Amino acid sequence: MPAHRHLSYLMAGMRAGRSTREILQAAAPIALAVFVFGASFGVLAVAAHLPAWSVVLMSALVFAGSAQFAALGVIVAGGGVLTAIFAGALLNLRFIATGIAVARSLPGGRLLRSLLAQLSIDESYALSVRAGAPGPPDGRTLLVTGACLYAVWLAGTLIGALFGPVLGDPKRLGLDAAFPAGFVALLWPLLSGHHAARCAVGGAVVALALAPFTPPGIPLAGAAVVGLWLAR
Amino acid sequence: MAGPLALALVLGLASLSFLMRATGSFLPNLPSAVAERTAGLAPALLAALVAIQLTGPNGLVHLDVKVPAVLLAAVLAALRAPFIVCVVAGALVAAILRAVFHLN
Repeated sequence: MPAHRHLSYLMAGMRAGRSTREILQAAAPIALAVFVFGASFGVLAVAAHLPAWSVVLMSALVFAGSAQFAALGVIVAGGGVLTAIFAGALLNLRFIATGIAVARSLPGGRLLRSLLAQLSIDESYALSVRAGAPGPPDGRTLLVTGACLYAVWLAGTLIGALFGPVLGDPKRLGLDAAFPAGFVALLWPLLSGHHAARCAVGGAVVALALAPFTPPGIPLAGAAVVGLWLAR
Repeated sequence: MAGPLALALVLGLASLSFLMRATGSFLPNLPSAVAERTAGLAPALLAALVAIQLTGPNGLVHLDVKVPAVLLAAVLAALRAPFIVCVVAGALVAAILRAVFHLN
């Protein structure tokens, strides 16, 4: 059976919800935002002297904007590769929680479900939860929007990485200031969450307290511990 | 960054991210307390990343053009401006302050 037939066969067995067209219409404005996010990541990563192929490969294999942004931010600030991986991976720990929620809504055995769960990002998860409210997330919405946003994220990164070098000297353009500005923009919508504000304040205070005395990575680890501690 | 180092960064982050998204399929009965607590990670880490970006090489807060850039981005984010508007506005403020006032 061809791959696309196989996928539609799987999806037919899932909970009937909105049509593919309705799902795509709901995802369109988010897809535009994800495309622009991908392009800005591509521009900034190439400006930080990462090889263009590695930038596109990262978007293809990681598919998580805030984690990729965080890893890049560590590199730009002069941190090492291990610290950058650590920072990105810590941000992605929340996918353990979303992974548990979506696993029950996905078709197939454990292996297939673990592969399909790779399509979950903040945006596709949010749409799938709203679609299936109040029950578990809607698996079909997650897969359709996830696949659509994956394509758009990759295309955005590719275009950003190709056209980034045209822009010129990163510091003269203020691209170093784009990182803290971007982190603030990513943080703000999260603050409405349960206990999120105190996690944010705690994380920033601990990071600033540790930064003068510890090597890069330790302030982030301290912030992660505080975030886990204050989350409930 | 050299090619092999960039590849290590990509593969390291990719494999850990893969495992985290796959966990739910293999351990669906993980205690919900564990899952709930991970919700605190993103705000704590993003706030820490903002803070660290504003420190200098000695780890102390360093007042430069990134501070007004962050403040403007925060105001725009509070007004629900899209991500790219916050990022471009932050970069523009930094670029203008550097070009016009020769600030760091």
